[in-house]
Amino acid sequence: MTDYDDKIREALQQAFPPVDETLRRDLWPMVLDKLHGRSRGVPWYDWALIAVTILTVLAFPRLLLVFAYHL
Amino acid sequence: MDLLRRFTLGDVDAFETLVRQIQGNIYAWIIRFVRDPGIAEDLTVEALWRIYRSRQRFRVGGNFDGWTRRIATNLAIDYLRRKRPEDQLIAEPVATPQSDHLIGSYMRDQIQEAFRRLPAKLQVAATLALIEERPYGEIAEALGTSVGAVKLRVFRAVRILRKRLSDIGVMPEGKA
Repeated sequence: MTDYDDKIREALQQAFPPVDETLRRDLWPMVLDKLHGRSRGVPWYDWALIAVTILTVLAFPRLLLVFAYHL
Repeated sequence: MDLLRRFTLGDVDAFETLVRQIQGNIYAWIIRFVRDPGIAEDLTVEALWRIYRSRQRFRVGGNFDGWTRRIATNLAIDYLRRKRPEDQLIAEPVATPQSDHLIGSYMRDQIQEAFRRLPAKLQVAATLALIEERPYGEIAEALGTSVGAVKLRVFRAVRILRKRLSDIGVMPEGKA
């Protein structure tokens, strides 16, 4: 490092004094909420509805034209 | 069964025990980059969530602290990338130099602004190497890169800061 680099380092240390690194509360409840919230995923009945829709369209393709007419 | 092995198998009780052990360290690691307690808490929760989500990638017997620190560092880098420096300018108006005391304040604001405008990866490397004076080996492990790459990032950060600060007259241009 040059002297100038040392000046930059000193200037940065003055501009960014140490912060309080103490965690003030337990974050586990928030982590647990996130864990449950995201792991729930798509409910089974939504998957069932999607499957029924796809099968119906495959069995009766002309239904799409009926739907398109009413849109 | 070993706590870490239970964690990798998805045991939530084991994860809870681990969270209570590591949350303080992760928060302390993240706040040095973001310097805001509220944001640091949010990022710590997100980091812990990512640690759980990535549990199968952790090899039992490996360096758990280093692995979690790398996840936290990547999250802090993502945050710094998303954050616009202009937001900070609104929150902290730049003072004008009128007296010796204010010159110090003015310089500090200019240095902070120039630092926050650095690319996120350079900011993180420079924070650890220049402000915290951490060993390059430790920084390389936290960033998941080599010591050479860390030195290059710090060198680039110093070069950019030198140019910006001399452009605005805060510090005189120095030799490389």
